[in-house]
Amino acid sequence: MARVTFDNVVKKYGDTTVVKGLDLELPDGAFTVLVGPSGCGKTTTLRMIAGLEPVTSGSIRIGDKDVTTLEPKDRDIAMVFQNYALYPHLTVRENLAFPLRAIRVNRAEALTRAEAVAATMGLSELLDRKPKDLSGGQQQRVAIGRAIIREPSVFLFDEPLSNLDAKLRVEMRTELLQLQRRLGITSLFVTHDQEEAMTLSDFIVVMRDGEIAQQGKPKDVYDKPNSTFVASFVGSPKMNLIEGTFSTGKFVSESGLTLAVSGVSAGKNILGVRPDDVVLEVGGKSPSRGRIGVIELLGPRAIVQVDASGHSLTAVVEASRMDGIVEGAEVGVGVRAGSHHLFDVATGLRV
Amino acid sequence: MNRFKMIDASRVLLLVVAVASVALPLLWVALASFKTPADLNQPGIIGFTPTMANWTEVLSSDIFAAVGRSVLVATVTVAIAVVVGSMGAYSIARFSTGGSLSRFGILAAQVLPPAVLVFPFLSVAYMLRLNGTLVPIIFSHLSFVVPVVTWFLIGFFAAVPKEIEEQARVDGFGRFDTFRLVVLPQVLPGIGAAAIFGFTLSWNDMFYGLILSPSNSTILPVAIAGFNTFRGVELGPMSVAILIAIIPVVIASFFVQKRLVQGISGGAVKG
Repeated sequence: MARVTFDNVVKKYGDTTVVKGLDLELPDGAFTVLVGPSGCGKTTTLRMIAGLEPVTSGSIRIGDKDVTTLEPKDRDIAMVFQNYALYPHLTVRENLAFPLRAIRVNRAEALTRAEAVAATMGLSELLDRKPKDLSGGQQQRVAIGRAIIREPSVFLFDEPLSNLDAKLRVEMRTELLQLQRRLGITSLFVTHDQEEAMTLSDFIVVMRDGEIAQQGKPKDVYDKPNSTFVASFVGSPKMNLIEGTFSTGKFVSESGLTLAVSGVSAGKNILGVRPDDVVLEVGGKSPSRGRIGVIELLGPRAIVQVDASGHSLTAVVEASRMDGIVEGAEVGVGVRAGSHHLFDVATGLRV
Repeated sequence: MNRFKMIDASRVLLLVVAVASVALPLLWVALASFKTPADLNQPGIIGFTPTMANWTEVLSSDIFAAVGRSVLVATVTVAIAVVVGSMGAYSIARFSTGGSLSRFGILAAQVLPPAVLVFPFLSVAYMLRLNGTLVPIIFSHLSFVVPVVTWFLIGFFAAVPKEIEEQARVDGFGRFDTFRLVVLPQVLPGIGAAAIFGFTLSWNDMFYGLILSPSNSTILPVAIAGFNTFRGVELGPMSVAILIAIIPVVIASFFVQKRLVQGISGGAVKG
């Protein structure tokens, strides 16, 4: 167990800087998720902790040990790759025991420990199979089992769930979280899926273009995104962002959509409203009107597109409140009191 | 409809010609090994009384000593070539060592006529007092077996996913252990085929053997040539010796033919 510290870490490929002076601390024993669009440098960051990518400048510490120039084998880490990277020539038992071979655990003990791990991962029936005879989910379990067998100081996960089908992905998510809670080993999980990031993390780091856009507890990041980038990246469906002028008590967009919002600040801003905070009123006397477009029913709630004065707004409506909300209907559009976000037009930063 | 039939027919014809051009000489040699000298002088003859005389003569001669030496030369050559070649091929496949020059230039030595190299080999062997041994032959064979084996294996190494190597390094292994424990097992079928291919190249070489062999203990292809005596070519016994030389190679190639094709094309196809 250890915290991982990045001190002004830079990674360049030729003239391209992929990670620009990263300062980051992964809390000891916590599940940290690094999330961002593809090409933001998140996988590179993970691979630098693993020692698979050399650092251009800056330093990385695991616990109190500077590992910046150490070989992967000397870092006491375990990693799960996106494609599981099982050793094709070894059986499940041998795959699980393989990391123990590196630290010279004797064969009999290694195989006993492999069986114990297999039991916790529900792989006991499959011990003598080769990877090619396993399903994707089973391969995933073997890869995770192999990562936990040595009880390393840090777990690294490189989008390990993205090759699984949706149902299995959700199951494995829960399982992974339970496992991490039980072992309490510092973990870093890289994903481009913000939903995965929100549900898994104790601590979330949103990256963009090689820099940290925002970090913190997932709830804080969700409740107080510090820029339009984070606001639209975290949360599904995406936050509605409308440019316009804010004056006391109301917000008027450029095309004339007027929304009643609280607050006193004034001037040109970007208004951000989470789809859950968009209020649709059937009938009603609200002066802001909109026409319902496409409705996607999810079961307990529905995602509703509303066209209001030329803005396409996304609203999430509880299934119990869907009366009168049908495609083509005209509704009043409002914002739940106190729920809005404001961002600067020029910088995109939170006001 | 008819056009397809024509294409089919021409395909079959092409195959027949190809098979015949390989199989007929083999068949002729096989038949010749059972013919008397008199029958051999009438090449057109179909019916003849088979004789075992050639076989008894050759089998009781010292041909097996030559077979033994050829096996020794080819085995040592292949053992060295596989160790050196697999490391070289891995390096070229994974790290593009030497750029495209090494990848495609590695076969350049094959363009040289062996006559260019044989005198230096002879001269160095003489200076090192190795001229009475099989060592110079082994070295001369390495000069063409190592590049071919390396070339052959590049495609196999390139096909090993990088992730399993990275996984092994994260799992606690150094570069060499990763190569030995994780990469090599993935390419074992390729190495097996490369070994057989390299063995065949060494086994079939006559030129270097002819010049570098110790005078009275030669390798098999040279021994076969020895049936061309001052009394003329002893075709019957020579056919027996040729069959002894060919049969093991044909059998081995048959079992690895798929890998052979993969290896010969693999080095070029994988970009």
